[in-house]
Order: sequence, then C-alpha cells, then structure tokens
Amino acid sequence: MIEVDGTLKSRLAFWLLATVSVLGVLLLVEAYFSSQRAAERAYDSQLEAAALTIAEAIRWEGGQPVVEIPSAALQILATRHQERVFYAVLDAKGQTVSGNLDIGIPPEWRRRVSSQPTWLNDTYHGTQWRLYGRELDSAGWETQDPVQIWVGHTMSGRDALTEMLFEQAVTRFVIMVLLAGILMLLAMRVALAPIRRLRQQLRRRDADDMRPLDARVPEEMREMAETLDSLFMRQRDGREALLRFTADASHQLKTPLAGLQTTSELALQSDSPDAWRQALTEVHGSAGRTSRLASQLLSLARLRHAVEASATARIDAMALLHETTFDWAQRDVSQAHDIGLASLPASPQYIQGEAWALRELLGNLIDNALRYTPPGSVITLGAVCHAQTLELYIEDDGPGVPPETLAHLHRPFERGGRQDTEGSGLGLAIVDSIVRRHEARMQVESAQKNGLKIRLFFPYLTQHEEK
Amino acid sequence: MRLLVIEDDPLIARSLEQALTPLGNTVDVFTHHAQAREALQSGQFDLVLLDLGLPDGNGLTLLAELRQRGDTTPVLILTARDGIDDRVEGLDLGADDYLAKPFSLAELEARVRALLRRSQQRVDNRLTFGPLAFDAASGVATLDEQVLDLPRRELRLLEGLLLHAGSITPRETLENRLFGFGDVGSNALEVYISRLRKRLDGSGLRIRTFRGLGYRLEEASP
Amino acid sequence: MPIRRVALVWLLGLLAPSFAWADNPLVVEAALDREVAAPLLDAFEAAHPHIQLTFRDRSTLEVDARVANEDNPPDVVISSAMPWQMARVNEGYAQRLDSPAAQAWPEWAKWRDEVFGFTFEPIVMAYRLDLSRHMLPPKTHADLHTLLTQHRETLRGKVTTYSPLRSGVGYSLFQQDARYTTRFWDLVTAMGATDTHLEANTRAMLEGLSEGRYWLGYNLLGSYAMVWAQSHPEVFVQVPQDYSLVMMRMAFIHRDAPHPAAARAFLDFLLGREGQRVIAGETPLFSVRPDVVGPYTAQRLRDQVGERLYPIPLNASLLAFVDPSRRTAFMDRWQREFHRLAHPEPAQGAAAIESRIDKRSQR
Repeated sequence: MIEVDGTLKSRLAFWLLATVSVLGVLLLVEAYFSSQRAAERAYDSQLEAAALTIAEAIRWEGGQPVVEIPSAALQILATRHQERVFYAVLDAKGQTVSGNLDIGIPPEWRRRVSSQPTWLNDTYHGTQWRLYGRELDSAGWETQDPVQIWVGHTMSGRDALTEMLFEQAVTRFVIMVLLAGILMLLAMRVALAPIRRLRQQLRRRDADDMRPLDARVPEEMREMAETLDSLFMRQRDGREALLRFTADASHQLKTPLAGLQTTSELALQSDSPDAWRQALTEVHGSAGRTSRLASQLLSLARLRHAVEASATARIDAMALLHETTFDWAQRDVSQAHDIGLASLPASPQYIQGEAWALRELLGNLIDNALRYTPPGSVITLGAVCHAQTLELYIEDDGPGVPPETLAHLHRPFERGGRQDTEGSGLGLAIVDSIVRRHEARMQVESAQKNGLKIRLFFPYLTQHEEK
Repeated sequence: MRLLVIEDDPLIARSLEQALTPLGNTVDVFTHHAQAREALQSGQFDLVLLDLGLPDGNGLTLLAELRQRGDTTPVLILTARDGIDDRVEGLDLGADDYLAKPFSLAELEARVRALLRRSQQRVDNRLTFGPLAFDAASGVATLDEQVLDLPRRELRLLEGLLLHAGSITPRETLENRLFGFGDVGSNALEVYISRLRKRLDGSGLRIRTFRGLGYRLEEASP
Repeated sequence: MPIRRVALVWLLGLLAPSFAWADNPLVVEAALDREVAAPLLDAFEAAHPHIQLTFRDRSTLEVDARVANEDNPPDVVISSAMPWQMARVNEGYAQRLDSPAAQAWPEWAKWRDEVFGFTFEPIVMAYRLDLSRHMLPPKTHADLHTLLTQHRETLRGKVTTYSPLRSGVGYSLFQQDARYTTRFWDLVTAMGATDTHLEANTRAMLEGLSEGRYWLGYNLLGSYAMVWAQSHPEVFVQVPQDYSLVMMRMAFIHRDAPHPAAARAFLDFLLGREGQRVIAGETPLFSVRPDVVGPYTAQRLRDQVGERLYPIPLNASLLAFVDPSRRTAFMDRWQREFHRLAHPEPAQGAAAIESRIDKRSQR
C-alpha cells in the first residue's frame, strides 16, 4: 500500500523556510544592531572631530582657559542632518568656560572623562542626546590644568543612518533568500534527477525483467537501489525456484503419464482380455497416483508462493487433530492400516494458525505414513503438552528411514531412498512449508522400536494474542 | 431411487452413471446448471451429486437456491477444488457430504449408500445394514430376519452403530448413548462391544475398533 | 489691487467653511516693522478671516526674551537676529512643520524643518546727497574704508552704523563681516576714528540721514532703506559691489504654541506662494521662492547685483555668534579697534556708553 505523504520538494521547502525564518530573524536582529553600531561609529567620529576642533581653539589668558567656539566645530556637530548641538568647555573645577545648553555634566562623568574619552547617551528635555567628552591637558606656561570638552548632538542622523543601513541589510537578505530559493529549486531538480532517472528506468522495465539495475545513483540512493536490486534478485530467485519446481513437477507428472501411455498402448495391441485387465489395473493405479501427485504439487505451490498470508485464527489443536484423524481413519486408503489416536490432553490446546493448512499438514503426515508403511502397520497420532510448546506427533511401526536421510526428508521429491512406494516425495515438503508458516519446528526421528516418528512443536497462543 | 448428477466432465459423468445405476437407481445426468435447475424444480430426486465447477455457474449458488426453496434433498458435493473453504461453505449452505476429486468409485458408492440410507430412514424409520436391521419404533433388532434377543444396552449400542453404519461412530457418542453423561471406566464400552461382536460372529458383519476414535460396523472383508 | 483683494476675499469665502480654526487667536512676536509687513498681514487676515492675528512688533532682544517666557509663550516667533533665533531652535523651542510648503522650501533657507528664513534682505550702505557733493560715494567696502580714512575730518560724526551691543542684527552682521575678511577690523578702526554713531536699528539710521545728521550709513537693512529711499529722495541706497550680506528673517512656531493650528497656517502662508507673492510685490522684504515674480525677489536682486550676494548661512555655525565667550571676545576686540584712533577723551558716541555686559548672553 503506497501512501503519498507530501512531496520531497515541499518537505525541503518547508525545512528551508523554517531554517531561513529562524536564521533570518537572528540575522535581522544582528543586522539591526550592527547597523546601529555602524551609524554610531560614523557619527561618534564626528563628535570626536568637533571636540578636537574646539580643543584647538582653547587659549590660555592669565591662567584662565579662553575659547572662541569655532563655527566649523558647530557645523561638524550639527552634521548633514541638522542635529541640535551641545557643547561645553569646563575648567579644572568643573566651571563652564563656554557652553550653550544647560545639560549638566555630573561629577562622575567628569571623572570618567578624566581617564579616557567617553561617549554617553543622555536624555535632555525628552530628547535623546549623544554626548562625547574628552579631557585636554594644556601645555601652558603658567598652568597645566586640564580642560574638559563636552560635545553632543541629537540622534536623528544616527536613527536615519541606522534605518538606511538596516534597510540595505534587509534588502540584501531578501535578495539572498530569493537567490537561495531559486538555487535550492535548481539544486532540488539536479539532486532529484537520479530518482527521476531511476523511476523512468523502472517504468520502462519489462514485467519479467529481473536483471540488476543499471543506473548511476548518488551515495544517498545506493541503499534504495541495492534494496531494489536485492528485491529483483529475490524475485528472480523465486521465479527460478518456481521454474525449477514446475520443471520438476512436470517431470514427475510426465513419468506416470508416459507409463499410462505405454501400458494402454500395449494393451490396445494385445487381443488377450487378461492382458487388458492387467493393463487397466495398472492404468487405474497410476492414474490415482498421478492425480494425487498433481494435487500435492498444487498444495505445495500454493504454500510456497502464496503472497497473502491467509487469515490466521485461534485453533483448538486437539479438536483439529481428532477431527482430521477421524476423517482419515474412515477413508478407503486407510483401511489396510491401523490408524489410531493416543489419548489426548483433556482440555483444548490453542495455537494460532490456518485451519486448512493444519489439516493439510496432518493429512500429508497420515498419507505419508500410509504410503511408506506396509499394510497392517500401526499409525498413531498424539499430542503432548510441553512447557513452551505443544507437540503433535505421528508415529508408525514401519521400516523407518536410514539416519543419514532423516535430515533432508522434507525436500521435494525426496522419498527417503525408496522407489518402491506410491509416494510422490512431496508430502514432507508440504509439511515443512506449513510448519514454517506457523513458526513451528519439525523434528524427524526414528521411533522407539523401528519406524519413523515425526514431531511438530507449535508455540502456544499467548495470553496477549488471545485477546 | 432417483439420482441427479450434475457434472460437466463427460468421462466422470459416464463413470458415475455406470457406477451408480447397478445399485438399483435411476441416474439423470446434466452438464449445465440451467438444465439441472429446471430438472430440480420439476422432478423429485432422492440424491443430488453436484459438481461445483460448472461452465455456466457456481454449484454453490444452485445449492443455496435449493435450500432456500426448503428442498431437503440430500446433496453430495464433488469438486476438484480441495480448498477447505469451499468445503466449509458447501456444508454451511446445507450440503450433506463432500468428496474431493480424485476419488475412488468405491468411496463414492459408500458415501452414496450412506446418504441414501439416511434418506430412506427418514421415510420408514428402519435401520438396516446388510443382514442386520433395527426397527426404532418397535425396538426389535433382526439378523437375517431372525430376531436378536439383546439386552437393553447392547440394543442401544447396536442402534448407535447402525445409525453410523459404514462410518466410524465416535466413542463418546456411544458412551453417552449407553451410560448417559456420567463418568465411566475406560473399558466399560469395550465390554459391551465385545459382547456384541460375539453376537455378530459369522453373520458377515463385524465391529472394527479405531484406537482413540471409535467403532465402525462394517462388512467383514473376505 | 482692490480687485485682487476682492477676488481673494471671495475665493477664501468659498473655502472658509472648510477651515476648522474659526475665531482662533494667533500671537506673533516679530522683530519686523508692522509698517513694512502690513500688506503681508493684511493678506493673511484676508486669507484666514477666522484667525485673529495679534502681531507684536518688538526689538530683536525683546522678541528673544519672549521666547523663553514660559507663562505666555507666543505662537510664532519672527526675528532678524539670526543667531539668537538659531540658538532658540537649538534649545528646542521650535516645533517641526511638515506641511508641503515647508517640504518644498529651499534647503539653504531652513534648518531642521523647524525654522525658516522667509525673506531675503540685502545689507546695504546708504548715503545722503550731501556726501556725493564732497566725494565719490562708496561702492565697495574698500571704498568705504578709503573714504573714512581720507575724509576723516569731513565725515566725523556723520557716519552711522549698527551698535553691535544693542542690536542683535548689527552684531550678527559684524560677526559675519569679520568672518569674511580681517580687513573688517580696519574698517571698525576707521569708523571709530570718525566717531561713528552706533544706532540700535536701521530706522534710526535712516531718520538721521534724512534729517541730515548723518551722511553715510553702513550695514543698513536694504529692505527698509529701499522703501525709505523711495519717499526720501535725499537718501541713496548702495548695494556693496564687492560683497553684500543678505539677512533672512527667521520664523518658527513655538514649541508651546497655544494655537498651533493657526501658527501652522500662518507659517504656511508665509512660505506659500501667496505670502511670498505679497512679499515680492508689496513689501521690500524680497521673496525667497524662485517661482514668484515681483519687484522684490531674490532672483531679481541677483540679476541686478550679480553673484556677490552672500546670504548669512542658516546653519549651526550661527550658534557660535551667541557663544558668550566668543561674544565677549568679539566685543572686546570691537571696543579695542573702535577706540584705537578715537579721541582719548570720553567718547560722545554711543559705543562708549554701552555697558560691556549684555544681559541676553547670560542664560
């Protein structure tokens, strides 16, 4: 079942968008502050220049600093943005030598400026001001008192520059995002090209083309391509197994059919009713074997190649065992044998499974026992409750199987080294398939006296599964 | 007895006709559903042998129609499909027995006989098997027309075996019949079985034991 | 004129309902002669009949003092004392005007969109007919210096100019002169040597010229002088040929204006086409707007005088002029230079009796 869950493009686009949004917010915040810093640096340097210009105009007259404020200094302070300007020249005692606004300079600011030039933000009558103060050591003949120069201006220029720089940053960012988006789209096309190529290749492929893929794929897709390849390989193997099986099966069918053909041909050439009767008997027996072989082949094919697992159910193995044994006991084929059921556990024993398959399983085991044992043999089925598993077994007192062939009895067309029976060699193979479908275990061993005992161990239905 | 065979394979159809006619029956063979449906609606049959895979429809549909009409004619299903699901469905729909192809004619004959007997019993209330007979109304058992004077439990046992004659009668069924549902010893039944065996000795009938399963009244093979 | 006036009233009558400020008072403190500005004010009242204009004509010092009057601030402040106006704006006493007229106003004639120079008044020399009988009237500053030096005794007491101490305009003009050339101080010395009379305003100088007390005046407001000369044929006006300062009257809306809407209307009118047209046509204040025609426009003045017009720049450098220590230094120098060649005895001129400390400079 293929469920379409969005597109790779939208997924990539979503993550790109999310990343860009988060990064974008961070970048824009950073851009704003760096714009502010840049504007501050630009205008702070003008404050510095203005202060220096004023410093040059300071003269000493009679031990007192005198300053004739140069117009240029005020021009510099005002900047292009026509800021309101502030300047003050303070003597060593903090007295104003010259100044224009009554922005008070607190003593602690004066102290700070005495150690190093300082920039400060201040609010004066509800307006933000940027102030700069520096101290000037005068090299006069009479005095060396320091003079402090304070300058300042309003901040509309800074705000405007910050705004402009920020707008530029935003514009650059937006352009970058757009470019990145376009590049991303292109990159996605390029990156997804191998998937597209692979898809086209798969689409063009013939239904029975199971060769490995011949495609150039990037590292990231190697696993998928390899998985596809291994899927093809499994399918190829499966198909080959099926072909082999079909070939084996047709061979198996051809042999008795050839026998039928030759027997009936010989009978037709003969004039003796005895010969006809003889031939007809052989034909009848062979036809029975052949049709049984065909049905077993069908069962095996169905078991091995069933794509959908049939619905499993909670099954009382005891009832099933009883029912199946009962069924087989009254068949014609069983009449020469003594088929019986050992006494079973009194309570029902539940396992998870497919009833038809389990019936098939037991039927094949009984059928096998009937065919590989001489008439009059005793065949007993039974069940034993172990701690972890439920054991179903079938036991006969026939001739048994040599120990060396016990291990591969379950292979198709294996007859336990016997060619004298009516068996097809498929019975145990079918049993094996069903056992594996039920996650059970099969154990083939020699019975106590002689004969064969086949034991099947099924997992109990757990409490959890019982719900 | 009148039998209806619905089978499209001519070889099998002819075999069935040849095998069943000697049993004293009239056999009508149809190869298509449509014809068979008409025949079933018009005539009275004692047994229907129904092949499920016909060219013009599914045999199960025909069976369902039959049972819906309230027709209780016994139906034996024949099919090459040995899937258990078909079997279960067929039995659910009211089939009386089921036989998978390939089958031996002997088995077919046995099944047909059993079904016909059951059909017959419904009519005259007598159980017969070979020389053995039991009249359920009078409670008298006869062997070769000779009345068998049997104790009550042996009589009940005989009736039980006769009800399933030719098939295995489950052990539990017989125990319930003889002893009710109380707990009995494991070989209590065996005692009565061996008594009955002695009575039937030399009659051409015997009772065969199936270990762990039950007993079957059958003709002693020569 | 009457036809136009009627048309204007009619037009504004149509528009009147849309004006929200019905019966709004408006107080304008101005260092601008009511007489000169009368056509402008009349036009405004006609345009805004619902605004009751109170126009107070005062000296620049008084106007400046009114700005800082917290109890009763004016709506609009107009003054020709440019540095003081600028200082007030820098102190934050002005409010921004964002009207289209303000936006369109030339950059060089406004500051911070708060204060606007709405006139373009050349600074001129004026002389009496008598002067030309004795000597060639001066055409340049150098001519004036030569004249003062060569005819020192003839001109003694006959020359007049602004008092830098009593007149903000005068002070500004001298500062600006000193910025352009250091020879200005030679002129001051020469003026001091001729016992030049220092007057507080142009009107006083013009009256002196008409009365014959003065023969020659320096740094008069051209706007007043030109009007005066029209009605007083004995007075001639000379725009200096080397360079001529141009003074702009600066107007701003007071930060705490009680009637800001009316104030904005008034300024918009001053800066607008209509107000500037009245300035150009009916006052000698000269219009700044290049798209206005009339006898008194900056454009026409440039055409007549050439490119030697030097408007006093309307920017932060003006603030230096009101710096107390700079002012003190300037005044010290003025006194020094003015008295360098003057008579040793206590001067009878106004300069001598001026106190050295100007209250205005104490903030």
